[in-house]
Amino acid sequence: MLALLAAFALPATAAPPRDPAAALLARLARPPPASTAFIEVSYSGMLDHPLIVSGELHWLGGDRLERDVEKPWREVAKIDDGELSVQRGNGAVRRMPVARAPQVGAVLAGFRALLDGDAAALSHDFTLSVQGGNARWVLTLTPRAGTLRDRIASIVIDGRGNAPRCMTLHEAGGDTTVTLLGEMAQAGLPSAAPLQSALLARCRNGT
Amino acid sequence: MRNRARIAIYLVWLAAVIALASGVAGHLTISSDLRDFVPPARTADQKLLLDEIGSGPGSRLLLLAISGAPEGELAALSQGLDEALAHDPLFVHVANGGGGLASIAPHLLPYRYLLSPTLDTHRFDAAYLHAQLQQRLQDLSSPAAPLLKPLLPRDPTLETLKLAERWAPPHQPRLRDGVWFSDRGEALLVAETRAPGFDPGAQARAIAALQEHFAALPDAKDAKLAISGPGWFGVQAARVTRAEADRFGAITTLGFVLMLLLAYRSAVPLLVTALPLLSGAATGFAMLALAFGHVHGITVAFGFTLLGVAQEYPLRVFSHRRTGASALECVRELWPLLATAIASVCIAYLAFFASGVAGLQQLAVFTITGLIVAGACTRWLLPRVLPEAERDMAVTPGLAAAWHCLARLPRPGWLPWLVAAAGIAVAALAPGRFWQNDLAALTPVPQAELQRDARLRAQLGAPDVRYLLVLRAPGEQGVLELSERIAPEMRTLVAHHALDAFELPSRYLPSIATQRARQAKLPDAAALQSALRQAMAGLPFRAGVFAPFVADVEAARTLPPLTPASIGQSPLGARLQAMLVRQEDGWIGLGTLSGVRDPAAIAAWAGGTHGAVHLLDLKAATESLVAAYRQRILVALGIAALLLCATVTLALRSPRRALHVLGPMTLATLLVLAVLRAAGIPLSLFHLVSLTLAAGLGLHYALFFERRTGDEREDLRTLHATLVCVASALLVFGVLALSSVPVLRAIGLTVALGVLFHFALSVLMAPHAAFPLPSGEDARPLAPMDRPINARSRRSSKGPGG
Repeated sequence: MLALLAAFALPATAAPPRDPAAALLARLARPPPASTAFIEVSYSGMLDHPLIVSGELHWLGGDRLERDVEKPWREVAKIDDGELSVQRGNGAVRRMPVARAPQVGAVLAGFRALLDGDAAALSHDFTLSVQGGNARWVLTLTPRAGTLRDRIASIVIDGRGNAPRCMTLHEAGGDTTVTLLGEMAQAGLPSAAPLQSALLARCRNGT
Repeated sequence: MRNRARIAIYLVWLAAVIALASGVAGHLTISSDLRDFVPPARTADQKLLLDEIGSGPGSRLLLLAISGAPEGELAALSQGLDEALAHDPLFVHVANGGGGLASIAPHLLPYRYLLSPTLDTHRFDAAYLHAQLQQRLQDLSSPAAPLLKPLLPRDPTLETLKLAERWAPPHQPRLRDGVWFSDRGEALLVAETRAPGFDPGAQARAIAALQEHFAALPDAKDAKLAISGPGWFGVQAARVTRAEADRFGAITTLGFVLMLLLAYRSAVPLLVTALPLLSGAATGFAMLALAFGHVHGITVAFGFTLLGVAQEYPLRVFSHRRTGASALECVRELWPLLATAIASVCIAYLAFFASGVAGLQQLAVFTITGLIVAGACTRWLLPRVLPEAERDMAVTPGLAAAWHCLARLPRPGWLPWLVAAAGIAVAALAPGRFWQNDLAALTPVPQAELQRDARLRAQLGAPDVRYLLVLRAPGEQGVLELSERIAPEMRTLVAHHALDAFELPSRYLPSIATQRARQAKLPDAAALQSALRQAMAGLPFRAGVFAPFVADVEAARTLPPLTPASIGQSPLGARLQAMLVRQEDGWIGLGTLSGVRDPAAIAAWAGGTHGAVHLLDLKAATESLVAAYRQRILVALGIAALLLCATVTLALRSPRRALHVLGPMTLATLLVLAVLRAAGIPLSLFHLVSLTLAAGLGLHYALFFERRTGDEREDLRTLHATLVCVASALLVFGVLALSSVPVLRAIGLTVALGVLFHFALSVLMAPHAAFPLPSGEDARPLAPMDRPINARSRRSSKGPGG
């Protein structure tokens, strides 16, 4: 999950900053509301093969995000006012504070900052590094401190031009979640249970 | 006596009073515990109320709202305050939405299978486990995954979350940044004090600590902390009352000073006038400290009010001093009458001893000691510090004219009968409640604060402070079983909107029987392994991933059931201990209710449980205690009145003369009562005590007016003294009657009215002989030297007591 919303391909508006990460973020920024398709592939030590869900992500502005899973089951998750609510099918809505899972909160803050183009806010929690040029780039977010670093090793965003393609969350425990965004999501997965390495290679190099 | 000696005596006296007062201050506890004030409990409800448990968890709750800063800062402040209060021994429990009870102690984790109701309706078989694992798979790909993932190997059925939900407040406010927020953007917290709600002293300490904690937080300067709840209201009421009393005290002191200067044209009375009263009060407190060690604040307030009579003693002496006679000589002449007044009032207050109420006995000890000491100081110390009089008050300009005026007033014989009839008619027939039993109504909470309290209470789902569910059983387990039995019935009441929510002890800990039943349903390791294998078929979970689950279930199968004792000192244990109370004849469980809408329906349902469950109305129980106290005070006052009549009659040695003194007193009291009733004011304990003070003052007026000295100058001095006394009482209590605080207004209005009526009636009902017209037909001011100075030789020794 959480590989949210870096994905909205619209032209950038901000003045050219000096720092390459800041420059990239300024290019990526876009106004709410914005939506994109996604496919999320989770690799977990608890599971023999990856878990795959797909649907739409919506950034409604501010701290408000919505993630609609359409396949293989229906689930609507919302983050609003620091509260996470999840409703699966027509079941009961489960609510929990984002603050109880620091990784949720921090990643959310990170992606909000990403969409805002606000490198300074993002730098508060992460160190940012950019590789590649304007055509193909990799933005790596490494948590700076505390509980966040205990849970998250890094977040890697692959993109081309003004659009992110994939967001990969490397958890400290070794589990990895790869989220395909925009065009990548529309293109679909190469197989029913892609290998993690193959999927990551596709994010970086594939067409 | 030489001036130097006088000053020396004065200074020693002053020093002694200060020393005594400061000595006593360290030894006498002014308590705010209801038990020090009201009579012993008679009914079961009163007993519960006074057993401290009756204060109920609800009344110990302080509702907190932080506002005035951006949300993020408010959340940080909420967390900081939560942290600080959690470590403060004055508080039992604090919650801000960020955890609290939801966390189960690690060593109790295997108990989740005995505490959670899952096994009541399900079994850990292949079908149930398969359905659960399928849901967990979906959880793993949901945004909640980071929260759930660490739990899954050990707790695939999520019992820990079910318990957390079960233990969370039934209606939680919205969470933002992990803490509770109101819909107006205030960060909300609930703090439970260790001190009971009806102990304003202890509540004040807790609130002061809370405010200190808040002020010490970084960034607390801009934010605003609002507190609400019973404890806060009590502390606020005391603060407002004290502030207003101080403000009026300053005004009346200034007025009193000016009046003394005007009346006596000398600074000497100013310096000494308070000393007899202060000596009496200090000694009274010393006696209380020796005899009781502690006293209720209200008793002190009552005692001071009643002791107010003693302020007249020095004023009488000042007015009766004259040139050419030493102060000692003048006091000696005055003493028989003063002594009569003091003795009769003290004997009357003896009735309070027989009341059997500690508060009233303390009142009697304080008042009797105070009056005797103040009287003795006036008789033996005061004249020794007063210098020779420079003028005779009898020649005060206008005094003779006033005398003349009063002497000429018509004194119709039918007047007392008319006053009596009218008074009784109005007092008896006026519509409206006769008594005010709600002590809190005398120090009302501002409407805005009440509204805020209701708003915060609703948002936090905080328990009602008025109603409490009381469960009775012979043992602790019996209470828990009863609690489990009635929970479904309570849910029905909630469904019928009799109340919004409830909290019973079994919500936190099931009975041993229930725990055993759940335990019996846990499968053994082999059965669970096999069920799990079948359940995992077709799901991508890795083999062996749920080994910790299997181990925990196996451990839970042989655990000794959890009891309130074994649950220990966790937040959960503290919560439970507040809800289970041991009594002499069994155990009591307390259930809190919130959003009570139909108490009658709840009471009716409880009535059908044959005493096992009872709806305790704390307000009604408190009011019944106040009513019981009033009953005792009325009986005591009745006996006191009889004793007073007997003493006065004996001292005056004539029923007829006694009637002249007691008649105006009785009628004036009746008149005050009639006016209060006609104004629609329900009478409180404070009115009763104020009536008693007024009657004490009235006794002085009547006694002194009744006195026949045969000496015009002495009569004029009596009038001077009485006018000064009336004016000062009217000044002090008349100003108090303007107060916005009902309790101060009650005292002020009652005493001021009483003083007026007592004065008027003692003038109008005095025997004709008591107001002889001056020897000349016209009222003319007497020249200082046109009469013999020593009036004593001419007095028609009818002074009482002898």
